[in-house]
Amino acid sequence: MEVGLTERLDSFVRKHNDRQLAAIPLTIFVISLLILAFTFASSGSPVKLGMEFKGGTMVSVTTEESLQSIELKYSDYPINDVRQTGTRVIMQFGPMSNEQQQELISNVIDSYDNVEINQIGPVYGKALQEQAIKAVIISFIGMALVVFLIFRTLIPSLAVVLSALSDIFIAVAFMNIVGIELSLGTVAALLMLIGYSVDSDILLTTRVLKRRGTPQENISNAMHTGVTMTTTTLAALVVMYLVSTYSYLLSSSLSQITLLSDISIVLIFGLVADMMNTWMLNTSILRWHVTDQGARRRKA
Amino acid sequence: MKDDEHQSLLKDIRVIVFILAILGSIIFIQPWYSSDEGFTSNLNYGLDLEGGSWLQLKLQGAVAELDADSGLLIKEIVNTKLGEEVEILSVDEGTDETTITFTSDSILTNNQMDQLGVGQTTISRNNNVTEVILHSSKVTLIKTYLADSLKAEVLPAFVAGTVEYEIRTAISQEELQELMTAVGGSIVTDINGDALYKEGVTTETRDMTKEILSDKLNSLGLKDIPVKTVGDDYILIDFAGIDLATAKNIAEKPGKFEIRIITQGNESKHVLYGDEIAAVSIVGFHEDDGQWYVPFTLTDAGAKALQKVATETGATTDPMSHNLVMYLDGNEVYSAPLSYSAASRLEEVPIYAWQASTGPDEDSKTRAEELRIHLRAGALPVNVEIMGSGHVDATLGKQFKGQAIVAGLLALLAVAFVIFRKYNKPGILVPMVGTSISEVIMILGFAAAIGWQLDLASIAGIIAAIGTGIDHLIIITDEVLYEGKLPPKKVYLSRITKAFGIIFAAAATTIIAMSPLVIMGFGALKGFAITTIVGVMIGVLIARPVYGKVIHEVLQKSSKDVE
Repeated sequence: MEVGLTERLDSFVRKHNDRQLAAIPLTIFVISLLILAFTFASSGSPVKLGMEFKGGTMVSVTTEESLQSIELKYSDYPINDVRQTGTRVIMQFGPMSNEQQQELISNVIDSYDNVEINQIGPVYGKALQEQAIKAVIISFIGMALVVFLIFRTLIPSLAVVLSALSDIFIAVAFMNIVGIELSLGTVAALLMLIGYSVDSDILLTTRVLKRRGTPQENISNAMHTGVTMTTTTLAALVVMYLVSTYSYLLSSSLSQITLLSDISIVLIFGLVADMMNTWMLNTSILRWHVTDQGARRRKA
Repeated sequence: MKDDEHQSLLKDIRVIVFILAILGSIIFIQPWYSSDEGFTSNLNYGLDLEGGSWLQLKLQGAVAELDADSGLLIKEIVNTKLGEEVEILSVDEGTDETTITFTSDSILTNNQMDQLGVGQTTISRNNNVTEVILHSSKVTLIKTYLADSLKAEVLPAFVAGTVEYEIRTAISQEELQELMTAVGGSIVTDINGDALYKEGVTTETRDMTKEILSDKLNSLGLKDIPVKTVGDDYILIDFAGIDLATAKNIAEKPGKFEIRIITQGNESKHVLYGDEIAAVSIVGFHEDDGQWYVPFTLTDAGAKALQKVATETGATTDPMSHNLVMYLDGNEVYSAPLSYSAASRLEEVPIYAWQASTGPDEDSKTRAEELRIHLRAGALPVNVEIMGSGHVDATLGKQFKGQAIVAGLLALLAVAFVIFRKYNKPGILVPMVGTSISEVIMILGFAAAIGWQLDLASIAGIIAAIGTGIDHLIIITDEVLYEGKLPPKKVYLSRITKAFGIIFAAAATTIIAMSPLVIMGFGALKGFAITTIVGVMIGVLIARPVYGKVIHEVLQKSSKDVE
């Protein structure tokens, strides 16, 4: 199956010129930017912030009670949201006083089984938010520096950095579309994406710049390896996503693991975007750069 | 021929390192199965997999360098403490001592001046005007002024020629500036004009808070509860196996402290509880009588209660037979008679500032330090604010653990399936999956060796490291297997070098991308970042070189078989 995908992708890359090839990923990149800008304009942040960054309390319990009765039961507290997955109910509360908090926690622990509670103060949430933004930016700059150090040529390095940047923007835009909030797990996934996404770009660039043979041959070869790499990672992530998200469908005694579910879904989308960006955007820039250089060398 | 190859593989330094690392890891993990205990190992699990709760506390306070006018300071201090207006006649700022002369229309007594607690005074009264000469220091005045205005402890610390004031309550830079402006002063600025103000507390105070918390948890019989400091003003406590409601109670509620005075024999009378103790200062040593002591101050109600009970019990007239005894949670922590001077003064006025002496030797110093903590009744030196907390039931944690392991195993199977479809050779599949499993074993071994707690985030990190690991193995395989068969030795060597070039580059970017999380160290993500980095390092340095070697042998063998 994935062999078919590689061949189709390969012939697509061969048939189209550099400008046509770059047009598709660049269009999607721009659409993602627009989505982020729109979200930023309407909510004040480019992605919807989760409880960990806004502050609040998340309570998740196993219960047979209906959502309405639970909402009624805790109506004295600043309850924002009640959701159900299988036999688990997840409640989200806004910030509250320490005494109220203590009361709520004692109540929940005494009345339910399999309790999970997470509480983040608004001030701490704000600090976490700043740190997370800093982490993503520093991590991206660090990656870009390493890439420049490895290749020491401007255009190929820029191509790698641009496709990594596009991966992240597309992944975040996707989070906005399907309504995934920024949590500690999704920040981890975005950072992981920075690391993962350059793997195939580095492979491609090294093969094209350092191997003998025509650029197109080298690209095809790199693609065979690179697509296998990304599909194995995707396979692992899809399984992780299914097990951590939907295993309660198989047995009511199983629960969602939010952290793993968040990490895997964001990475899945980031890596699909990465496939496009590596083999269309990065490839077209690199192919143009190599032929351009070759032409100049011949002239000289 | 076969034996020969076998030997060469085992002689290879990379293979030897690999085997030693695997054996070492297994020894550290100590996996064991017994029918009654099930599967056991040396691995530590985090709270989210084991059950329990955690609290992240912020220590409220500020550290700043301050300056103010001594005359205005004493004016304010007298006004807040005694409600009297005074006129400043002269201020003489010496190097060690500041001498201030001030006057008042009211009568000021020695006792009132002692209540100020800022220094030695000489009082004279002529023509209905009281003149007071005060020997104090600017540091004492600033400290007292702030402590009175904020009703909080203020500790000056002498650091490299300047004085830093630690204010043990939440106060913003603007609020502090306002307070200092009122006494003709300000927050000192550095050469760039930036105010020397920092939110938080000093490292000593942070460590002391940590110690008091640890002591308290230990005294409750809760052993092995780690109290970690995160940055300068955060403290993180992990309560394994304790629910969040209980954990909050333990951390927030101080113990019960009580002072009683002996009436007769074993009988005693209640004087006051810990909430009447206004402040406790640091342990000091009296040169005159050679005694270690802890200074503490009582509230108004506390001071009056002590005067009343001391008079009723007869402790003021016969201190030696009416000891003053302090209890913490019902246990006697201190017992001593009132000094004769204090006893006779108590007959006339309540005393606010007290000193509990413990004796002359080193042991007494330790006892004084302990008493200092007891006087606070296990209350923390600074206010803490709960910044974050969490709770996972033990049953749920167990479920998460099982599910995470299943997710990991199934993910590995999925990867194996994709690889088999692509290469169609068990000869490649087995070493590839084997290498991945060996990497997991080594990461777990490393975690067991350093006592790292595996939580959900770390498990995600392991899966991420394995994901990049498989990618790297594919790069090696494709590079070596170019055009479907094994190239001649020379070409093979240059290819494998190139493959490792790509792998090292890719690993470097992953490590760099993860490192901000390790340094910033926030929340659960630190574990994720560390396991990913460790996993990538183990993979690149130990496991993948061996895979390169093994895959060569395997392909050589299979191409020979074909011939």
